[in-house]
Amino acid sequence: MSTRRRTARPRLAVPVPLGRRTRRAAGGLGLAVLLAVALLALLGPLWPGSPTAQVGLPYTAPGVDGRLLGTDGIGRDVALRVLHGGARLVLVAAGATVIGVVAAVLLGVLPALLFPRAGGVVMRGVDALGVMPGLLVLLLLAAAFPGDDLVLMVGVAVVSVPYSTRVLRAVARQISGAGYVEVARARGDRWWTVMLHDVLPNLAPPVAAETGLRFTTALHLSATAGFLGLGRGAPWPDWGLMVQENLPGISLNPWAVVVPSALLVLLIVGVTVVADRAAARLGRVTA
Amino acid sequence: MTPDLLTGRVGWVLGRLLLAAATLLLLSAVIFTVTDVLPGDAAARLAGPDADPAEVARLRADLGLDRPAPERYLEWLGGALRGDLGVSAISGRPVADVVGERLPNSVVLAGVALLVAAPLGVAAGLLAGMRPGRRADRAVTGLSVVVVAIPEFVMTVLLIVVLATTLGWFPQVSTAPLGGRPWDAPAAMVLPVLSLVPLGFGLSARMMRSTTAGVAATRYVEAARLRGVTGGALAVRHVLPNAVQPVIQVVAVLFGGLIGGSIVVELVFNYPGIGLELQQAVGRQDLVMVQGITLVLAALALASLLLGDLVAGLVDPRERR
Repeated sequence: MSTRRRTARPRLAVPVPLGRRTRRAAGGLGLAVLLAVALLALLGPLWPGSPTAQVGLPYTAPGVDGRLLGTDGIGRDVALRVLHGGARLVLVAAGATVIGVVAAVLLGVLPALLFPRAGGVVMRGVDALGVMPGLLVLLLLAAAFPGDDLVLMVGVAVVSVPYSTRVLRAVARQISGAGYVEVARARGDRWWTVMLHDVLPNLAPPVAAETGLRFTTALHLSATAGFLGLGRGAPWPDWGLMVQENLPGISLNPWAVVVPSALLVLLIVGVTVVADRAAARLGRVTA
Repeated sequence: MTPDLLTGRVGWVLGRLLLAAATLLLLSAVIFTVTDVLPGDAAARLAGPDADPAEVARLRADLGLDRPAPERYLEWLGGALRGDLGVSAISGRPVADVVGERLPNSVVLAGVALLVAAPLGVAAGLLAGMRPGRRADRAVTGLSVVVVAIPEFVMTVLLIVVLATTLGWFPQVSTAPLGGRPWDAPAAMVLPVLSLVPLGFGLSARMMRSTTAGVAATRYVEAARLRGVTGGALAVRHVLPNAVQPVIQVVAVLFGGLIGGSIVVELVFNYPGIGLELQQAVGRQDLVMVQGITLVLAALALASLLLGDLVAGLVDPRERR
């Protein structure tokens, strides 16, 4: 046993980020936390009451008048704003992920399979877009279309497209060069038959892995956009925006900053752990 | 060198420069389209909803908006090449002046953060990559995953709560002294720099780890190991020289990333950088200002990528793609 391990060591040295058991435990814990926070975010808005109504004095402490987390700088119920402030973030990130991955399939996979020459040209354009830092894209769009969540969603998608396109294009080229695809082509199968029977089944796992990883960055970017007041903005509740709004009063009611921050960290780190784990299982391909 | 002028080193550098120029041209067109063409009539917006149509027409002529968009784009681009980014229709200040005043502050912020974060990240990544799967690797990998996943603003708020509000070691805002630069009051720069360090550390550690792991698995490292070279000597003499070269590119990418990250940090600390100016311009709907600042920042990000590519390609011909 010991001699086997010795000879095997150099090959084992290829990146294996975490021990398998640690990875599994972290993944399980991440999943549980993630589900709890996601449920809170998505079902929270069903809680009755107006998150924008002034209900008391500014920055009252938790427990005063039966308000679990006290009030914020203009006397709104923090607990109610927390309940109502997560859904938009999750929906914007989820929408952006779907748009981004679909666009990446259209820009990366289809040209690689159907028009290999045009694919390179498309890639140059997509790469150019990838030069722009993500927040810069969001701020640019927000300047032209202020206060619009749909534009924010498209912006987050645009930021993710260059990465996804590069990864999925690499996968598609690998698949289209594979023996079974060449055999299918050589026996005269139509391009759509090849696509449906030979390419898509092999493309699904990497697309799924990429979707998870992109959702992570989309959440990160949407939360930051909320913090900067992009998208729908004040007076509507948003975890990121709450952190910014309540920072000046942090010594008076720290919970108004701590709770949304903690939820954001749990959500994003949770999604990261689960997505990384799923991607590793699905066979992550990096370009 | 003359016979292979176009295929050798010189040709490769020229090709990279041309590609970068083409990329910047494309980005400038995108930026112009988003800020100038898509939002519609800027004159009507500036004049307000109940302006007299004749007034709007006069304003439109004043701003040159009665001419076709391609013509205005070429004029803007020509001006940008001469260092003239137009004049803000709201504050009346030339955009280039604002950029010249604010950009150095942001570059210093990102640069100092990079100088702190990159060596730490490289050291941690080296430590982790030498023995993949061991305890040090798991610690570094876990830490870098978490610090990269946590949004910059949460990290910043955490630092403020601990170091400014609770311990009172550093000021909570870093407005520059009147007419001065932020580094005239170094204590005020500590928190903004510290807020950017985790991101820079996490990204550089992650990339350094994966290249180190690749090099550590090669035969010549195994040979050195069998010769009895271990620990620090193995890492520094045999692995680092072959793993550090991609780090040059990483540093270049990071610099662009930190410019983006500093947008958040500048808002939190009211730091007088270009990112804060950009956010205020977005809030004021000052599209000429947004256009100019975005172009400059995109050019800067592109330049740092190009520099990384060039250095990597000149050091190691295998990197010339």
